[in-house]
Parts: sequence; structure tokens; C-alpha cells
Amino acid sequence: MTVTPPPPPAAPAPPPGPSPAAVPPHGGRGLPSPFVAVVGYTLRACLPAKRWWGVLLPCLGAVLFGWLATVANASTQRAFAFVAEQGLFGLVLPLTCLVIGDAVLGADVRAGTFAFTWLSPVRFPTIVVGRWLGGWLVALVTLVPALVIATLIAGIPEGAGAMAVAAASGSAAYIGVFVMLGVMARRSAVWALAVVFLGERLLGAALSGIAQISPMWETQQVYAGLVDDAAGWRLLRDGTPNGWGAVVRLVTILVVTLAIASWRLAHLSPTAGDE
Amino acid sequence: MSGRSPSSSATFPAPPPPSAATFDPAFVPDATVVVQQASVWFGHKVALTELSCSFGPGVTGLLGPNGAGKTTLMRAIVGLLPLNDGQIHVLGHDPHRERDVQQSIALVPEDEAVPPALTARQLVRYTAALHRVSDRSLPDRCLATVGLLEVADRRVGKFSKGMRQRAKVASALVTDPRVLVLDEPLNGADPVQRVALIELFHALGDQGRTVIVSSHVLHEVERLASRQIVVIRGRLAAAGEHHAIRDGLADRPRSVLLRSPQARELAARLVGLEVVRGVTVDGQTVVVTSARAGELAELLPRVARDARARLLEVRPLDDSLESVFRELLR
Repeated sequence: MTVTPPPPPAAPAPPPGPSPAAVPPHGGRGLPSPFVAVVGYTLRACLPAKRWWGVLLPCLGAVLFGWLATVANASTQRAFAFVAEQGLFGLVLPLTCLVIGDAVLGADVRAGTFAFTWLSPVRFPTIVVGRWLGGWLVALVTLVPALVIATLIAGIPEGAGAMAVAAASGSAAYIGVFVMLGVMARRSAVWALAVVFLGERLLGAALSGIAQISPMWETQQVYAGLVDDAAGWRLLRDGTPNGWGAVVRLVTILVVTLAIASWRLAHLSPTAGDE
Repeated sequence: MSGRSPSSSATFPAPPPPSAATFDPAFVPDATVVVQQASVWFGHKVALTELSCSFGPGVTGLLGPNGAGKTTLMRAIVGLLPLNDGQIHVLGHDPHRERDVQQSIALVPEDEAVPPALTARQLVRYTAALHRVSDRSLPDRCLATVGLLEVADRRVGKFSKGMRQRAKVASALVTDPRVLVLDEPLNGADPVQRVALIELFHALGDQGRTVIVSSHVLHEVERLASRQIVVIRGRLAAAGEHHAIRDGLADRPRSVLLRSPQARELAARLVGLEVVRGVTVDGQTVVVTSARAGELAELLPRVARDARARLLEVRPLDDSLESVFRELLR
């Protein structure tokens, strides 16, 4: 079949309203690139006030966990190691990243507003990476400082740098996982909680094979590998990479999850179908 | 060219697949959107069944009662919904698989889903950025076109339904689309805005764009587009100009209102005619139902003369799209 395209349209917006010349352009800047626009949209539209509370409350919890380490009846390092394992890496990190990761794409798809992005010539990997980056930026200004502050409050200033690297790389991977789940499952929050608490905390504690692909365990290993005297803190785990090796593992998890999310978007119907 | 009168005939059953030699009113010769045997189902619910038609430059109305499959068809045309069977080509490309063609397509969805935290200006600028629009003044011009420039910095979540629709129209216009699909774009708009939007859609059609509009306000669709595609229960029920569609239903009963001071005498004469199926009288008004409206029109002057009745008004009661729906649904 031959499809004959019409002549290209002359001007975009015709009669009603003022003439083009009568409307001055808003602001002095040009329009951003599609990638920057996607990141900007993520920051402006995907995190409403409720979601911000969902991000900030766990961050506040992180600070309280840091304080808790100072009042525990143990050495500072041992107490913080316990608090970090159970509270910071096991609870605050996944919950905060869940709120962010689900918001940046899955919630947008479920709300039906993703159609505004889908109906554009922008490639799906660009959309996914832009959404992820927007979410990660939020984590970098909320979660990462909160975990570093918790480390400082706990009286471990030498661990602050390691915690920053661990939180940054761990949140990057975790948000990637939740971005992927957001476009793969309708009840993505339920699936995400199942992955964290059943998959990572229960199975991951027993099976090192699962721990090796778990952002929770790998984040802990980043921290444990980078701080001095890590072995004495009982955070290191045999059979899983630690330090920068764990960072590489987290980056690998991130790349794989974003690739799956991009593939999934190409096969997605971004709006409910029935009238 | 004018896109308002691409065809003057009508068709009723589901048409055969298109071919260059077929003069079928469901198809236009200069098609930009071609739907071939499109079927969509959700679980056990069938939304579209082997629907074939095409759309070309100009405004085309997409009509049908609630649940007919209009929104499904529109979403499939822009690529939001994959087909379970059949094909849709927009400007020669598959809109669901080929991202590049999205540069030329825009949709104004019916549902109220808008990013509530964005202002109208942010929404339109976002869409413009995704489409790599180089003219940075275009978003504001599009907002001005739909009358939202004054409130461009208000969040769309705080907008009324009509304002949201207009914000979505502005967001669609900013992409400079060659194919513009509008699902109930007049919903919630006040009368002045309705007129302005209808003029806008006409102007876009006259520019050579393919404009596909659905609406429940049928008399407005008649004003919007003379060519219509009627979808009922997921199937193509009719296509062509709405008058042609109505004429194609000539063998079905049609009602004509007559007003005369001698209504009773006129009714008595009409009852005896073979072409008349029923007559009701109410004061000076006579409503005649006939399956052969053409013959009735020819006989009416003689009947009136014989009854010594002065005709003050003769008006078909069911030449609207509502009546077409009613007839097609039978």
C-alpha cells in the first residue's frame, strides 16, 4: 500500500488567540534537550508532596539510627555495625529507594500520565535513564547525606566517606531495580517489598548467590570493604565482592535493570485500554 | 485543499480490505492513517473487531456510543495500544513500534490524567522539548491559541476539566503534528471556547493536517467534520458524510414534523397513504413516520392541497447523528 503524506503543515497554531508576534517568549532560555527534559520532568512531576514525606521520613529515621548507635551497650564500632546492617542498609536504604524508584516511572505509568512522555520520538533507554537519574539525584541530596550524618552522629567520622560511596552506589542500583519493577508489575510496591524482605533479607541472608545480586548486601559490602578494620565490624561477608568490587557489582545490577526496563517499555501499553 | 468533504457516499457493513481500486467511503485516496482489519481485545472483552478504514488530511469525526471502541481505536492509531490482529500505519509507519513516527503524531486523550504538579507552561514546554522544538516561543503561542496564556503558570492539577483539555490541546499543538487525534476535546469547555476550538480544528484541517476528532456532543461533530467514521460495538458501522449516511438509511423509518393549522385534516389524509407508517397529531403539529421518505416528500404537497391545509413547517426530525446511531444500533 502506498501512503501519500500531505504537504508539510505551514504554521503550527492558527486562528484563535493572539498572533504569534504578540506573545513574547517566556524566560530567556531555550528548550532543553529531551534527556534534560525527562530529568526535569522527573524532579517536578514525579515526586509530589506525599512522596517527599515518604523520602524524608526514612532519612530522619537514618539519623535516629545513628544516634541509637551511641546509646547502645557496646563499642561504638560494633554498635554502629549492627545499626548499619539492620537499620541503614536493611531498612532505610531500600524503603527510601522504593519510594523514589516507584515514583519516577511506575507511578507515572499507573496514573496514565506516562502517555505524555511515551508519545514522543524519544528512545526508551533515554526515558528510562532520565527517569532513573532524576530519582538518583533525589537520593543524592536526601538519602546519602542522611546516611553520612548517621555515621558521623554514631561517632565514626572515618567511615563517612565509605558510607557516602556505599549509599550513592547502593541507591543507584536500588532505584534501578525499583524502576524496573515499576514497569513490569502492576502492584509494583508489593513486589518491591517482597523482593527486599523475602528475597534479600531472608533468602539473601542464607544464600550468598542471592546476596551477590542484592543491592542491600552489596551496599553493605561496599561500606565494609572501604572502611578501615572492616573485618572487626563483622559486616564483611564471605563469597561476595566488597569495596570497589561491590561498587562494580552494583553498577552491573543498575545497567541490567535499566536495560530490562527499557525493553519492557517498548512492550508496554501505557494507558488502560477500555473505554 | 478542504478536508471536510472527502466523500459523499456511505457504507454500512464492515468493508473489505482496502485497495487502490476500491472506491469505498471508509477509505480516502490520500490517506495518512490506514487501519486494516484492526482487532483489539482485553481478556474476554472485544474492543475492536476487524475494523478497516483510513483517514486523510482534513477533519474526520469518529463517532459511536459509549463503549463503541472509539478511544481504543484512537489509542491504537497513535501507538499507545498494540493491536491483537491487523495493522495500523501512520504516514507509512507502525506507530507502536517505530518511535520516529511519533514526531508527527499527537494525541489529546479524553481521560483527565495530567501531571498535576506541572504548570500548563511546564507541560507544554516538556512536550516541546521531547519533540526537539527549536522555537522557544512556540509553547507560549500554543497556550495563547487555546486561551491559557494568562494562567500558564498555574498547576494543571488545579485546572477545571475544560482547561485541562485545552492544556492538552496546546501540548499537542506544540509538536506541530501532521496527524492530530483528539478524544473528546470539547469536554468541559464553555460555549465560547467550544466555538474557538472548533474553528481551530477546522483551521488545522485546512492546513493539510489529518485531524481525527471524537465527541459525544454529536451536533458539534456535525459542525466539526462532514466526513465521519461510525464505530459501533467495535465494528465499522458506517462511513462517509453524515447526510450520506442518513440517506443510506432511506429504507428505514424516518420521522417528519409538519405544522399546520389544519393538522387533523392533514393527518386524516396522510393516514391513507401507503408510504406512511404512522401519524401522530398534537395541536397544530403532525409527526409522520415513513419508510419511504423520498416518496412522502413528493406526495406531501398534493396531500396538503387536497386537505386544504396550509403547511407552516416541514422538518425532518431525525436527520441528526443521534438518529443515525439509533438506526444503526437496531
